[in-house]
Order: sequence, then structure tokens, then C-alpha cells
Amino acid sequence: MWKIIVRRVLIMIPQLFVLSLLIFILAKQLPGDPFTGLLTPDTDPNRIEELRELAGLNDPWYVQYVNWIGNAAQGDFGKSYTYKIKVSTLIGEKALNTFWLSLVSAIILYLIAIPLGVLAGRYQDTIFDKIIVFYSFVTYAIPTFVLALIFLFIFGYQLHWFPTVGSVDVKYDPGTAGYFWSKLYHMLLPAITTAILGTTSVIQYLRSEIIDAKSLDYVRTARSKGIPVNKVYSRHIFRNSLLPIAAFLGFTITGLLVGSIFIETIFGYPGMGQLFISSLLSRDYSVITALVMLFGLLALLGSLLSDIIMSIVDPRIRIE
Amino acid sequence: MVKEATVDSNKVEINSPPTGMQVVFREFRKDRLAMFSLISLVLVIVGVFIWAWLIDQEALMRVSLRDKYAEPGEKFFLGADLGGKDILGQLVIGARNSIAIAIAITIITVTFGIIVGLVCGYFGGWIDNMFMRIIDFFITIPSLMVIIVFVTIIPKYTVKEFILIMSLFLWTSTARLVRSKALSESRRDYVNASKTMGTPGILIIFKEIMPNLSSILIVELTLSFAGNVGIETGLSYLGFGLPPQTPSLGTLVSYANNPLVLQEKWWVWIPAAIFILLMMLGINYVGQALRRSADAKQRLG
Amino acid sequence: MNKKLWGLLALLLAFMLVLAACSSDGEETTGTDDGTKTEEATPEEGTEEGTEGEAEEPVAEDSDALFPLAIENDGEAISGGTLKVALSKDEPFQGIFSYVLYEDAYDDEIMKYASNSLFETDGDFLLTDEGIASIEVDQDNNKVLVKIREGVKWSDGEPLKIEDLIQPYLIIGHKDYTGVRYDVDFQNIIGAVEYHDGKADTISGLKKIDETTLEMSFNKLSPAIFSGGDGLWTYAEPSHMIKDIPIAELVESDAVRKNPVTLGAFKIDKIVPGESVQLVANEHFWKGKPKLDGVLVKVVPTSSISVALKQGEYDVAISFNASKMEEIKDADNMDVLGRQELYYSYLGFKLGKYDYENNVVVTDIEGSKTGDVKLRQAMGYALDVEQVAEVFYNNLRERANSLIPPVFASFYDASLEGYTYDPDKAAALLDEAGFKDVDGDGIREDKAGKPLEIKFATMAGDDIAEDITQFYLQNWKDVGLNVTLTTGRTIEFNSFYDKVQADDPEIDIFMAAWGTGTNPSPAGLYSKTAEYNFSRYSSDFLEETLTNIDSPKAFDADYRAKEFRAWQEYMVEQAPIIPTMYRYELVPVNKRVKNWSIDYTNESHSNLQDVELVSDTGVKSSK
Repeated sequence: MWKIIVRRVLIMIPQLFVLSLLIFILAKQLPGDPFTGLLTPDTDPNRIEELRELAGLNDPWYVQYVNWIGNAAQGDFGKSYTYKIKVSTLIGEKALNTFWLSLVSAIILYLIAIPLGVLAGRYQDTIFDKIIVFYSFVTYAIPTFVLALIFLFIFGYQLHWFPTVGSVDVKYDPGTAGYFWSKLYHMLLPAITTAILGTTSVIQYLRSEIIDAKSLDYVRTARSKGIPVNKVYSRHIFRNSLLPIAAFLGFTITGLLVGSIFIETIFGYPGMGQLFISSLLSRDYSVITALVMLFGLLALLGSLLSDIIMSIVDPRIRIE
Repeated sequence: MVKEATVDSNKVEINSPPTGMQVVFREFRKDRLAMFSLISLVLVIVGVFIWAWLIDQEALMRVSLRDKYAEPGEKFFLGADLGGKDILGQLVIGARNSIAIAIAITIITVTFGIIVGLVCGYFGGWIDNMFMRIIDFFITIPSLMVIIVFVTIIPKYTVKEFILIMSLFLWTSTARLVRSKALSESRRDYVNASKTMGTPGILIIFKEIMPNLSSILIVELTLSFAGNVGIETGLSYLGFGLPPQTPSLGTLVSYANNPLVLQEKWWVWIPAAIFILLMMLGINYVGQALRRSADAKQRLG
Repeated sequence: MNKKLWGLLALLLAFMLVLAACSSDGEETTGTDDGTKTEEATPEEGTEEGTEGEAEEPVAEDSDALFPLAIENDGEAISGGTLKVALSKDEPFQGIFSYVLYEDAYDDEIMKYASNSLFETDGDFLLTDEGIASIEVDQDNNKVLVKIREGVKWSDGEPLKIEDLIQPYLIIGHKDYTGVRYDVDFQNIIGAVEYHDGKADTISGLKKIDETTLEMSFNKLSPAIFSGGDGLWTYAEPSHMIKDIPIAELVESDAVRKNPVTLGAFKIDKIVPGESVQLVANEHFWKGKPKLDGVLVKVVPTSSISVALKQGEYDVAISFNASKMEEIKDADNMDVLGRQELYYSYLGFKLGKYDYENNVVVTDIEGSKTGDVKLRQAMGYALDVEQVAEVFYNNLRERANSLIPPVFASFYDASLEGYTYDPDKAAALLDEAGFKDVDGDGIREDKAGKPLEIKFATMAGDDIAEDITQFYLQNWKDVGLNVTLTTGRTIEFNSFYDKVQADDPEIDIFMAAWGTGTNPSPAGLYSKTAEYNFSRYSSDFLEETLTNIDSPKAFDADYRAKEFRAWQEYMVEQAPIIPTMYRYELVPVNKRVKNWSIDYTNESHSNLQDVELVSDTGVKSSK
């Protein structure tokens, strides 16, 4: 298996390369450039043109690309045009925020969705099932930001249960326990919101898998052998039904990473999503390209993770 | 989309001896909720299209400042928005647009996804390998971000462009899902049995594997419809949605971004949100009935 | 099935309950339009706005009393306390805490609490003697003496030296400096170019006379020097901290990012990058140690800012969007201060092209669709800006009549009529000019009887911007003009300026805005060589007036004011640019704050030592 994983990782390199070319060209197609935003009556247009020249933005795109990819291959993604610091430093701060937020969201999501999905499937067509299905559709139909705002207003501002903005309280120093708890505390409300809204597909797939499994031969055999119902569910059905869910685990996490754009904007939580939107608006090429590359890498790792999990859960499928 | 699913199940049933369409009918007659949902869906969709056709869009989108946030009442049945534009009219046109978009995207992505997924899952080998590499590449692309970049770049951005961009990125997940399922199905005994009997691959795929995948497909269909509306809403919220002169359910709901609208001017966004919810529930119930009719083991009658 | 319906109803009910729980009042929202004429407007303040009022400004008149400029609060002050400032924005702040390097206005807002500013200004934004430094201008010899007070100290206790005044010039002029401030103005300092090109180690035009005096020599001087223009730099940099840091690395250094040494009332203590800044009182502040313990500045997303303010979470909100006024208008826990901004939005007509080879505007009246001055005037009269200002902006914007915002009281010409909404006049002008509806479809054709389609470019924004755009298109249609959007929709900021700057042939008219800065000189925006002259309109008279405004003769204030007036009148008459709206800046301030002022002449930001709080926690709104 290790050999296969290594091979998969190697395949990623050309994929990322194609992606880099794609996003670089796309980014250059964006109207305007990082200096367009500096337009005020007080700034000298000649100076702006000079800075453009200095930044190499007047070179043909392939020259810029070769320079960029050369540096990027050595881990240097350049400097942010707006934030004026190394892209790696800038994204590093935000990426950790987003990563932890997504992880906490994923944990809460599965904690909610798996029991509900199993219950709905097992007690199919009872009132129980109907309520769960209804819940899953309601959460799907509610746009993220509506629920997020409602939660923020009630639990943040009215009840003061959770902090309302930011990722950490300014009074703690990095590295202390207080800092860690403050971070986690700031993460909870956005994570819960994300989790509640993200359960639909897990519940739906789990439910339908279990309903299907009920009528399958091995379940019937097990039942007819007199194995208790609970045991049939926990041993047989549950394991098999988790297959598609497992297949989605990697994607769920990357999906949460990308979906963080909405949550981060509403909760003022400085992560990659928020950074992406703001750098897109300010045409911060170096940050846009680096972020897309990072998301691409994470997506690849996510899909690899999914395949590995799948091959563990269902030995019939070998990862290729 | 519903139509599409019916066609598929027809294909399945055509060769199978007893019933065909009758099974579907019988299933719906047994399940009154599904019947009700189906009828309502058809009525609503047809109604929305006809009604939208009757509305003079230019008059509807005329800004009338004095009617800013007019409350529901005599002049506007469902009130008016910031620009004093009738919400009901926008809801109808918006629903028409969103349904048309969702149907188009769903047909494109699901058809493509199913074909690729089934072919890969069943044949395996180099075909599978090739498609999987392509799909892998698409998975590398952070679709939401690239969609946003695309939307910023293209100079003319209308419903048509929106459908194409979305379809480009959405077919892969369906394909992957179907493939993983088809992969495990095609290792099963019944497929092997058919193979040894010399049944052609195409037949095995559509006649034998497909029905077993139908439950997962129907879930996928339901979710992708609402998902598309959801993405569109999200894009509108971020400011990358359809042009404001093209009302859609997404634009209407995204007005709730303004706390004032969210809390006090509920008539602007709640109708659209409820409409989305009802559509989803309806599709789900119809989908479940269809699934039962495709799967003999679960039939009610 | 019935059960299902009940379920739905229950859901709806739950939804409503949730909404009701977070909604303060659902009922009192009728009649929103007149609701903003708040009773809290206390007219006793307003020294500066008052002067405008006296000048019989027709539009601004009734809005003078709209908002107070300052609050005092009688409550007894607590000792110490932390002032919480909300920075209302959706992105992280950039965190470049240096006046020579920062680019984002939000960094400036944060730095105001720890300002390195050397000068204070009066109502016309002219430098006064009240600040740390003062200037003496020797007009004949093109020299300026900058004198600093004795005993002023940096936040780390180091005394302020003349070297600290020279340091910023050495940074800006350096060849490794990549900011926008190395510009034509800066090159006006003698020796700046030589220093930039590496031919000199210092700037020869900057001479330290003694421990408190700096002599500056310029190539030429204009009245702009009194506004801090012409190359004069009005901030100090702590040379003892940063002089050894290579210029190229300065922007990433801790001295800029983490612990900048400052001259202001507070000093930066802790920073969470992009999110929040904690400042503490600066005991070395030259006006005396502030009464507050500190200031906490936090970024708050725009979607929740009004709720946060109602809950008393923040004491002062910066960059509070005026369109959110409606959300807080019932709140009884805060005062909303307001002042007119240095801003105007305008409708521009493309009347030529910019020749980027020779850097000169080439006006081509004949070849432009809107070449006829009557057509331009008619398009101005056709716009119902008044209604837009009233309904969409709740009177927080008003119809502009001149290209100089009224804040510049001495230069602003209040007597100008401007283009007030008058569709009949617009129609009459069009008839007169020969734009008649020949084929009877309700749309006017051009003078030759051919269809006339005017392409309009405007920027995308919030939903308000979209609706306003539609409204303006309707306005024009009402007088029979067929105006369409350039790309079929509103254009995103960056591409908008790309197209406007490149004189895209698809643009006949466009709508944009300028923040004018504190130097009112219009040369940078309207002269023959200005790239920012987006309408590409120029004429001999215009050039002459612009030159006069900045000429040595204009050191005579009356002469300058006269030329300013001539320029404003000419621009209104020729209408290459029609100003549409002035904007109000709103600053909500919680009731627990004592002494807060946004009066340009007497801003709290320059007297932060006097700000106090009257309770430990913010006051919540009871509604």
C-alpha cells in the first residue's frame, strides 16, 4: 500500500503543475492589477507605473510565470502586494486558523450526522425518520449566512455565550494555555454553525445505504440465524453503510475548507477563505495563486485520504 | 430532472417482463404523499414558467423609490424590496430562472457523471485510469474559488455562462460517487454471472448495475438541485452572483445578508427560502417513490 | 399529509420565533424615510458646518443640524478604562504601522491612536502652530523652516530630534522604497532626485539648523505647502529605532509590524495580525498622559456591526457605512456623530483621449457622443439625485453643486446652482440642441436624426448601487435618452478603472467618485497633463485657472479663493464632470464615552488625552 501511496503522491506533481499554469493565466486575466486600488488624487500615476515596472507586471505573462514557478518550486511564493509580507507567512497564519476550524467542524458534523443518519435509516418511515429527513432538508435549504447571522446574534451578542469576532483574544500571548483555549473558544460557534448545515449529505447517504442494506442477503442471513437486531446493525449494516461516508471524508474536509469562505466572512474569522476574497478584490496575484495551489494540494490529499480509508473499510476495493 | 430520472427507470423496465411504467404508477398511487408532491411539483413548475412568461420583466424591475421596503399588502402581495420592486413578481421570475438553471446543470452533470462513472466502474483498466486522472485533476481545482475567478474575468456574465461554468466543475463528484459504487457492484456475483453468460457490457451496466445504484443517484439528484441553488445563493452573497437584473431565488435569499432585512423585512427573503425548501421536499418525496419503483425489494405494492 | 403541513407550520413558527428573538422591534419600521431626521441632532455644535450654513448653501442648509459633531456627556468619569473601537470591515487589516509605508486607510485609522503626526490643522486643513511642529514659509527663497517643540518624547522615552523629522524623507527618497509616496511632489525637494538615484548620501535640501529647527529647500513653492503639500512630510519616524534597518526590509520589520515607537496618546501593546490591536496609554505623550488606560481596536464584519453597537460592545465605530444608519436609528445607547467627508461622486463625460506617449489630454469635443454641452447639462438635470439621497441614503448624502466639497469653507462656492433635478429643463435643453424624437418611439435621436445610444459605465457595489443605477437609467429614459450599461451590467471596481483609464470606446459617460484629500488643489484631477482627468476635457481657460490656483500669486488667500470660484463656475457651465453627491461620514459613539468629537478643527484624535468613560461596560440599547 505504501508504494501505491508514494505513486499517488508523485502523480500529484504534474497535476499541481497544470493547476499552477491554469490559475496563473486566469489570475493575469483579471481586470486591473494590485496597483489599481492605489488610485487617489494624491497618488502620482507615473509613480504607480514605475512600481508596476519594478514589480515586473509589465513583462509578458510567460516570463512572469517562469519566474514565479521557479521560485515557487523552492517554496518561495513571493510577497503579498497588499500585505507586504511573505506569502508563506501571511497564509501560514490564516491556514492554521482555517484548518483547525474545518477539523473541529468535521468532528461536530459527524457527531451529529452519523447517529441521525443511522436512526433515520433504521426506523425508516416512522415519525422519527420523517423529522430527521425534514431537519436535513431544512438545514440544506437555509443559506449558510442566514443561520450563521442568526446564531451570531443570539448566542454571540444576546446571550454572550461565544465571542463574536476574530480568532483569538488579543490579551493572550501565543504559546500559553490561555491562548489555546481562547482560540478554541473563538472557533466553536462558527464550527457548530458549519456542522449543523453540513449534515445533510451524510445523513441522506447513510440513511439510504442502511435502507438498502436491510434487504440485502447478508443481513437477511444474519437475521435468520437469530443474531439480535442491534448486533446486526452495529456489526454488519453500519460497517457497510459507512463506505460512501468514508469515501467522502477527505472531500468533506476539503469541502469545509473551501466552504469556510462564507463562515469566515460572517464571523470575522481570519482564515484562508476570507483572505482569498480580499486578495481577489485587491488583485493580490501572489496570494491568489498561492491560495489556489494550497487548496489544490489539500484537495489532492483529501482524495488520497478518502481512497485509503475506503480500502481499509472495504477490502474489496484496492486503491490503484 | 424528474423527467430524466423517469426516463432512466423506463429504460430499465422496458425489457423486464411485467410492468414498466405501471410499476411507477402503482408506486405513486400507493404513496399519497409522493403523488401529492409530484402533482404539486409539476403544477408549480409549469405554473411558474407560464406565470413568469406573462410578467413584463422590465416593468417589474423598474425601481420605484417611494415603495422602498413596502410591506406585504394591497399594492404588493408579498411586499417590495429596497428598490421598491415587487417581491412576488421577482419570486416567480426568480423561481423560473433558478429552476431552469438547476435543471440544466443537473441534466448536464448527472448525465455526464453517470456515464463516466458507470463506464469507469464497470470496465476498469485504462479507461478507468484515464478518466480518473482527469477527474483527479478537476478535484484538485478548488471549484468555488475558480468559479469566482471565472465570474470576475468573463465580461458578459449571464445565465448561460453560469450554467456552463457550474457544470464544468460539478460533474466530477457525481462521476466519482457512481464509480465507487459501480466498482463494488461489478465485483458482485450477479454481475459475474451475467458476464459468464455472455451478456454485453452495456446491457449489464444499464440493466443490472444501474438499478442498484438508483437509490444513491436519486439522493444525488435531490441534493444537487438544492445544492445548485445553494451555490448560486452563496455566490450572490459574496457578490459574484447573477446580474441583479436577472432575479433568482439566490439573489432574493442573499438580501438577508443585511441584518435589517434579516430581522425586520422578512418578506424579502423568507418566501424564497421557503420556496427552495418546499421544492426540495417535493423532489425528495417523488425521488423516494421513484426509487422504490426501481427497486423491487422496497416496493409498497 | 396534514401532519406534514403542521410540521411546516411549526417550522415556520420556530423560524419566526428565532427571528423575533434577535430582532429588536419588528413593528416600528413604517415610515422609514423620515425616521432619520433624528431628534438627537444637537445644533449647538458645528462650528465648521455652521460657516457653510451661513454661506446660504441651498442643499446643505437643512442637513446642517442632522448630526452633532461632538458629544460631551455629563456623567461622572471612571478612572482609566479601555475604549473599544470597532473597525467595520470584512477583511483583515494590513497592519503596516508606519506613515511612510502604509497604503490602506484602515491602518491609518488604527495609527490615529498612536499618531506620529507633527502638525495640527484648521478648518481648511491648513497647518497651524498648535501641534508638535510649526512651519515658517520663506516664499521668496523657496525655503521652509520646520520648528519642533522642546521636550516632546517618543513613547519609549527618547526625545524627539530633528533627525526623526529627516528620517521619513530618507526612507521615501531611497531607491529601495517601493511605496507610492516618491512622487512629483517629493521630487520638489532639492536634492531628492540625486539621493534617489544614489548620487548623494543625503538629501541636500534638508538642513538641520539646530536641535529644534529644520530648514527645507524646494524647487518651487505653492500655497499647497500650507496644506502639507509640495513635498513637505508631516510625520516623524523614530530614527533611533529604524535607521539601521535596510529600507527594503523595513516593511516586514518588528519596528513597523509589532512594536512601533510613536508620538501619540497611546502606544501599541499587542497585535493579533489582521484582527485586533491593543493600545495602552503613553505616559510620555506631550499633551499629558491620557486618562484612559488603553484602547482596543477590533475588526468587526459589516453584517454584524449594528447589532454589536446596539449591544454596547464597542464605544466608537469607524468606517460605519451610512446605509446601515437605518439599522441603528432606534438605538438609545449611542449618539451618532456626523460630518461631511472630503468626497464627491460625479457623472463624467468622455470628451477625448489621453495620449500616453506624450502624457497629455487630447480633447475631441466633435468626436464625442456627448460633445454637445446642452446634452451634458440635460443629462445632469435629468437625474433625480435628490430622491436617491433621500430614500436610499436617508439624507446621509446630498446633491452636490460643486467639485469642491463644502468642507473647504474658504474655497467652496455655495452660490452655485448645480444640477438640481429638473426633467422639464432637461427636455427643453435637448429640444433646443436638436435631439428630437424623430421616429416617435419615445426615444430621442441625435441631431442628424440617427439613433442615439449612450453607453454608461458604473461601478458594482452593494444592492443599493444596483438599484440606483437602474433608477438613473430610468431617469434618463424619462427625458427620452437611451442610456445603456457599458457591459450590460455594473462593472467591478478594478475593471471599471481599467476601462475608464484606457478610454474604452464602449464608455460615453461614467459615474465614479473622488476622495479629495486635504489638499483642495484640483490640478491633479483636471489639468491637461493629469492622467486622472478621466473626462479628458481641457481648455485654455481651464489650464490657466488651474495654474493660477497653484501659482505664487495665490499665496494671497483672496486671490486663490477667487480663482477657485472661477474654476468651479466654469466646470459647472461646461459640465465635463457633473458632481452628483456629497457624503456624510457617520461615527456612532456609545453613551459611556465622555468628550468625543469628529469636528475637523478639533478632532478627538488629536486630543485623546481628554477622552474618558463614564461606566465600566458599554451601554446597551433598550430597544
